[in-house]
Amino acid sequence: MMPEAFSAYFMQKALLVGVMISLLAGLISVFVVLRKMSFIGAGISHAAFGGVAIGFFAGLNPVLTSIGYTVAVALGIEFVTRKGKVSEDASIGIFFASSMALGVVLISLSKNYTLDLYGYLFGNILAITEGEVMLSVVVSVFVIGIILLFLKEIFATTYNEEIALVSGIPVRAINTMFLIALAVSIVISMKIVGIILISALLVIPGATAQLFAKNLSFMIAASCGVAVVSTVAGLFLSYEFDIAPGGAIVLTATSIFLLALFLKGRR
Amino acid sequence: MKAIEINNLTVTLKGKEALRNISLSLDEGKFIGIVGPNGGGKTTLLRAVLGLARPASGTIRIFGKSPDEALKSGSVFGYLPQISKISPDFPVRVIDVVMMGRYGKVGMLRWPGEEDRKKSLEYLAMMGIEDLRNVPFGQLSGGQQQRASIARALAGEPRILVLDEPNTGIDVIGQEDFYHLLKGLQKKFQITTLMASHDIGAITAYVDEIACLNNTFHYQGSPVGALNEDVLTNLYGKNVDLLMHTDVCEKCERLRRT
Repeated sequence: MMPEAFSAYFMQKALLVGVMISLLAGLISVFVVLRKMSFIGAGISHAAFGGVAIGFFAGLNPVLTSIGYTVAVALGIEFVTRKGKVSEDASIGIFFASSMALGVVLISLSKNYTLDLYGYLFGNILAITEGEVMLSVVVSVFVIGIILLFLKEIFATTYNEEIALVSGIPVRAINTMFLIALAVSIVISMKIVGIILISALLVIPGATAQLFAKNLSFMIAASCGVAVVSTVAGLFLSYEFDIAPGGAIVLTATSIFLLALFLKGRR
Repeated sequence: MKAIEINNLTVTLKGKEALRNISLSLDEGKFIGIVGPNGGGKTTLLRAVLGLARPASGTIRIFGKSPDEALKSGSVFGYLPQISKISPDFPVRVIDVVMMGRYGKVGMLRWPGEEDRKKSLEYLAMMGIEDLRNVPFGQLSGGQQQRASIARALAGEPRILVLDEPNTGIDVIGQEDFYHLLKGLQKKFQITTLMASHDIGAITAYVDEIACLNNTFHYQGSPVGALNEDVLTNLYGKNVDLLMHTDVCEKCERLRRT
C-alpha cells in the first residue's frame, strides 16, 4: 500500500532517485564525518555550480560538465594542499569562491534564460527527467560498488594513514579515489536537494549514525537509514504541504539528528 | 641477509638535519633499542626505515630491498606509531583494530576470513585483553589501547616489528611486564624488533643491542656499554641520574606485594 502522495508518476521517479541517492549519500557521509571532510564537501558542492554554468554556456549536459569540473576542483584542492604551499582550509576557500564566481560570469554571458538555475541551487527532484533518473541510478550503483569494493582500504586509511601505508595499502590512490567518489556523489545528488543544501546530506546522516555506532557496518547501515528516511519523509511532506522538497528533506534529516542527540543525552 | 641495513643516512625535515650520518646493521631476529632525548630523531629514524620519511642521502635496505619495495609485499612491517590519535567515538571495536593489522596480508579486493579472525583473537589473548574484543577501541585506557595496537601490529605476522615509545600510557610497574612480553614475542617468533624509547634505564635489560641517538648515533652496541657516563652526557646533557634495572625489578616486586 503506497500513500497517495506516491501514486503519481513524477513522485515515483522522485522516490526512486531519492532512495538511490540517499543510499549513496548515506555511505559517503560515514567517511565525510570520520575523515572530518565536511568543509571540503561544502567547497566541492559549491564548485559544482561552476561546472553547471560551463554546461549551460557551452550547450552541453550540465550534469556531465559538472562531474568533470567538480572532480578537477577536488583534485586541485588536494594537489595544492599536498604541495604544502597553502593550507587545505584556505585552498578550499579559494576554489569554492572562484568556482561560484566563474559560474556567475558564465551564466551572465549565456543567452539561455530558460535555464533552471533555481533547480540546481535548491534541488528540483519533482521535475527530474527519465534520462536523469537513469543517470542517477547508474552512477549511484557504480559509486556505491566502488566504495564497497575498497571498503576495508578506505576504512584503514581513515583510521590511520601511516598504519595503512605500512601494511601495504596504496593510501594516496585510495584517498584520490574517495575524493573523486565524493565529487561525483555531490553532482549526482545536486538534483535532489541542490548545491546549497547537499552538504547537509553529506554530513547529517553520518553524524547521526556516529552517535550510536560501535562498528563500521552499523554506522553505514544507520547512516543510509537516516538518509533514506529523510528523503522519503521529506518528499512526502513536500507533496502534502506544497513545500520545496530539498528544504523539506534537509529539515527532516536535521530533526532526526536532533532527536538522536536528545536520545543519546538521556542514555 | 641483514634484516635492516642503513648506510650514511641523512634525513632533513623542514630544512633541518633531523638525522645525520646514521649507519646501522641489524641481523634478523634481533631486538634493538633506540634511545635518546625527545626531538633527537628517534621517530624520524623509524619512519625512514618504514619508508615514511625520505632520505636526503644514504641508503636503507630492508632484507636487501628499498623500504618502498618492502612495503609493497604487504606484511614485512608491524608498526606501532607513537600516539595513535583516535577520537573516542570512532566506530571501531578492539577486534576490528586487530583485524586491520591483517589487511595487508589479506590483500585488495578480498575480505578477511575465519582464519584472520582466529589469528587476531590469538594475538589479543597474547596481550591479555581477549575479553575486551567487542569494546569500542576509544573506550579503552591508554595502556589497553597500546596493548590492542601491539596486537594489531603483530596480527599481520610481520618480519620486523617497529615500536615507537610503546610504553606510553603504561604505568611504571606495567612497563617491566611489558618489556618481558616484548622479549618473549621476539624470542617466540624470531621477529626483528626496533624499539624507540626515551627511557635508557629500563630497556637495557631486555634488548640485544642499543643505539643512542641524538641527531646522530653516540653509541651503538651492547646494552651494558651504553650506561657509560660519557655516552649519557652526550645524549642527555650533564647531571643525569641513572637507575639500574635488571630483568627482575625489585622495586616493582616490592610494590606488587604491598
